[in-house]
Amino acid sequence: MATTTATINLTSPDITGDPLNLSKTATLTKAGSNTGLDQFTGITTVVYAAAQTATNIVAAAAYADTTVSHKVYIKNSSTGTSDFVTVELGGSNVFMGRLYPGDWCFFPYDGTLDVDIDTSAVGMKVEYGVFSQSAAS
Amino acid sequence: MATTTATLTLTSPDVTGHSFNMTQVATLTKAASSTGLDEFTGITSRKYASAQTDTVIVADSIYADTTVAHKVYIRNTSTGSSDHILVELEGNIIIGRLYPGDWMFIPYGGTLDVQVTTTATNVSIEYGVFSQSVAS
Repeated sequence: MATTTATINLTSPDITGDPLNLSKTATLTKAGSNTGLDQFTGITTVVYAAAQTATNIVAAAAYADTTVSHKVYIKNSSTGTSDFVTVELGGSNVFMGRLYPGDWCFFPYDGTLDVDIDTSAVGMKVEYGVFSQSAAS
Repeated sequence: MATTTATLTLTSPDVTGHSFNMTQVATLTKAASSTGLDEFTGITSRKYASAQTDTVIVADSIYADTTVAHKVYIRNTSTGSSDHILVELEGNIIIGRLYPGDWMFIPYGGTLDVQVTTTATNVSIEYGVFSQSVAS
């Protein structure tokens, strides 16, 4: 059984009147279970020569769905401040949000909708990966 | 200007054939800018006495939208292993399930509500939004 942990640290000395220092660690397990997630795509790094529109980076067809606790990681590894990655869900490309250079996201994925991205410029670098369970619980 | 950082650390000794250890640090800035995000809701903690259906935890109407770099943090703070929180965007666009202890951190475009659905009683959640006061 694989053991994978994901830790988030959110810190700020000044976004509120008091310092913010939040640290939470999740052990990535299968849905409704103490058994660890058993699949990982590795981290894919792509430099897109052209701007992308609705480019699929996580295909729902490749994953068990619904009663699952897959996790998706995406990072805009571009430099500068302006070139953004738009993260979208499903065939209608529902807009989740934009990742500006250096931004990352990590979210649960139930395997029913594709995850697609748009990129706003040429030469953008994106990395992504999926931790998943081999079968639905 | 506020300075806020979000650090992700992923580690596993055995999910691949070799150990995996990755750390990423993001400084949370406004869209296309070096200026830090200037708004924060604080971390809200709730314990739902009853199961919830499409309960709005982030309302798009109170945020600037589209050209923004808002971030949403959500965590299932329940105990045990089974009581999940289904996280959706408005319109029943399913993102995924957070099982106890799981957290998520996503960019938020401010165009759709973020909603949660729970199937058990006494499910606990915490969430917060880092945002920019106006679109860039």
